[in-house]
Amino acid sequence: MTEVSTLPRTAESAAGVVTEFFDRYRAHDVEGMTDLCAMNAAFSYPPVELWGKQRVLRGDGKVRTIGKPLWTGLIASFPNLSLAVHTVTSNDDGDVVAEVDIEGTQQLAWGLIAPAGRHYREPHLFIFHVGPDLLIDSITAYWNDAGISQQLGHTEVD
Amino acid sequence: MTSSPVLTDTPTQTVQAFLDAFARHDVATAIAAADPRVAVTVHPLGIHATGTEVVDDVLTDLVRAFPDLMISVSRVIATGDVVTALFKAEGTQAAGYAGAINQEKHLDIDQAWRFTVADGLITEISAYWCQAQLYRRLAVKRYAEIAIA
Repeated sequence: MTEVSTLPRTAESAAGVVTEFFDRYRAHDVEGMTDLCAMNAAFSYPPVELWGKQRVLRGDGKVRTIGKPLWTGLIASFPNLSLAVHTVTSNDDGDVVAEVDIEGTQQLAWGLIAPAGRHYREPHLFIFHVGPDLLIDSITAYWNDAGISQQLGHTEVD
Repeated sequence: MTSSPVLTDTPTQTVQAFLDAFARHDVATAIAAADPRVAVTVHPLGIHATGTEVVDDVLTDLVRAFPDLMISVSRVIATGDVVTALFKAEGTQAAGYAGAINQEKHLDIDQAWRFTVADGLITEISAYWCQAQLYRRLAVKRYAEIAIA
């Protein structure tokens, strides 16, 4: 269920929603993260790209159908997953940009990467849009997946 | 070659001037939009440095390796003095890049660059893209053997 706020949308309130989102992410509260998003919120993680023989799986779609399973899987694979928010900037139109380091120690397979108990920490850039109802209606994130693979000991590009 | 500083009214205009010049492969004009002591972080290349010469190197390497480089900007987001640009970089490899030998492969990479602007000049750049995607498109198989096809 989404959480509806009666506050007006300002740069400050939009940034507050995103800060709360990351607080819940840090607490591994995927349901709570999702509750801060509109029902049809868009989701795009361009670095998520798994090439198979006949198809390519991409991290594009909706928060509830693509984002939520990805977050759940990431936390399962990295049970001590944590994050550090370095900057959050926003505007009155509801755009919020955040620089965030995400880190964790691998315990289960993640994508093509077998668990070897290694730790990663990788800078991410998140771009959110928060609607007038103070629900996140779009999440996009960029990072260098090669950095994560190499830190985890995975030497193959695929 | 040096260019005069780009005079603009807003952070978005400053960044747009940088992006427009980059898209034209006009590196000198692009770096004229930056402060001489600009802080540059290019996460996928492991670059953390200062100075327009760093920006010059990053842009020149791209333009040299991909002579038909096309920059398609999808969004420019202003949040105060910070401007974030989302764009796709496309091109066909014609020279080595980031350790990858030229196999004439086509590149298309979504990128996000975060700029900080002060007094009409770019003072910070942080560039994000996925180097795994880049190597995948350039037919690199292993991170430890980037130059081996």
